[in-house]
Amino acid sequence: MRPTLPTLLLALAATAALAHGPTPQKIDQSITIAASPEAVWDMLGPFDRIADWHPDVARSEGSGGNQEGATRRVTLRAGGTLAEGLDEWKPEARTYSYRMSDPDLTALPVSSYSATITVTPEGGGAKVAWIGRFYRGDTGNEPAEALSDEAGKAAMNRYFADGLRGLKAKVEGVATR
Amino acid sequence: MSAVPALWSKLEAPRRPGRSASPRSWRPAAPAGLALLWLTGGAALSQQGGPAVYVASQEAGTVARVDPGASAAGPALFVGPGPAGLAAGPDGTLYLTHPDHGTVTAVEARTGRVLRRLRVRGQPFGIAVSPDGTELFVGDWQAGTVSRLAAESGLVEAIVGIGREPAALVLDRAGRLFVAERGSDAVGVLDARTLTRRASVPVGWAPFALALSPAQDRLYVANVRSNDLTVIDTSSLKPLATVPSGRSPYGVAASPDGRLLLVSNQESGSVSVLDAGDLTLRERIGVGRYPEGIAVAGAHAYVANWFSADVSVIDLATLRETARLPVAEGPRAIVAIPAEMPP
Repeated sequence: MRPTLPTLLLALAATAALAHGPTPQKIDQSITIAASPEAVWDMLGPFDRIADWHPDVARSEGSGGNQEGATRRVTLRAGGTLAEGLDEWKPEARTYSYRMSDPDLTALPVSSYSATITVTPEGGGAKVAWIGRFYRGDTGNEPAEALSDEAGKAAMNRYFADGLRGLKAKVEGVATR
Repeated sequence: MSAVPALWSKLEAPRRPGRSASPRSWRPAAPAGLALLWLTGGAALSQQGGPAVYVASQEAGTVARVDPGASAAGPALFVGPGPAGLAAGPDGTLYLTHPDHGTVTAVEARTGRVLRRLRVRGQPFGIAVSPDGTELFVGDWQAGTVSRLAAESGLVEAIVGIGREPAALVLDRAGRLFVAERGSDAVGVLDARTLTRRASVPVGWAPFALALSPAQDRLYVANVRSNDLTVIDTSSLKPLATVPSGRSPYGVAASPDGRLLLVSNQESGSVSVLDAGDLTLRERIGVGRYPEGIAVAGAHAYVANWFSADVSVIDLATLRETARLPVAEGPRAIVAIPAEMPP
């Protein structure tokens, strides 16, 4: 009998604490937004306010504001919570970097990640780049399909793409109101 | 064209018994053109002598040579999927670990020819070669062990349990093996001959990369999570100092004269240059995105930028980035060969 995903997740929960595998994977997404970089950053910048623009996020609770070392707990609509820590927040460059603090395989099937989100001018508007690096949910050499590099890539790409589309819709909606 | 699959089946690592082919197992995934490059010898990694560096691209499964002063990296030659660790033997053989596939590949640096594949248990990651080239030291990332293998046959001669997530392995001339134990926040010190543990030196959070000073009196340890560098006295095996670097230092190297330390800061996209004497910051140099491995050859340092898939070249005299050379996807490990060895 094949173990079900919940069984696998439970079995891994005890050992999955911030496992760094030997093989990192890349995420590289961007979107252009018809608004000024300032307007985009105003929406995007506050670290604990990701629920304002990310459509997959039900709520976000932060601690520490936008200071290095601040944390946020991001509860997803589909279930699961991302615990994340802020590494760097540079409003003058309109960029911040953060990383996973604790894995939650029910939220995203990855064992650790770091990411950077940046707003730059593009034409008359703005471009938002969201890049990151992650390790698959099971960093061993026999991962279940649901915890493989491919599953991690699919989930992370979907999460980033949904977020950027949500940000664009939110900002462009606000800008044209 | 039929020769390519035939060769691949010959080169293929033995499968684990009873395990069916999966997306993670070996398969002839090499683009035929690349495979043919090494079959025909038509595009060797190197055409002449002199110092050079070699960079392994994990995502692409390739290795490429970079010559000092070159305006482009050499051709990307397929060596097998997912190469992570990289070390060079005294005869110019490159050894690459493939952690997801349980293999070590031996590659002739001069030609790029795959010499042999060694089946290795677990997740081989960090690797070092004995000075005479007959033995390999390989860390198993998942199991937390270090093995000594015969470089020719891959036969395990000795194995020892160490700290969690062994990353970089470095041998010194006194026959000691230093291991960055990323998951244990320590550097393990082993006797390379007996493979017994002599000491454990506490360092920062998540040590990943190691470098010895040219005189080998200091060991430099890049701590990824505490964003700093630990300096260890190799005679007393005590940490002497801890100095901040940029964010997520993933690589460290010393200049040949021992006066400069170079630390690649993965999350900052920079290289910190420190004075090795007083450990003050001399320069912060912007490089590509997510820089990792760093190596020095001659008057330049070379940095493998994982995310942007290029190699930054740094002039050690001016401390400026002089070139950024595109390479295949996922460059992480980089190694310098001082001068080309005879074939």
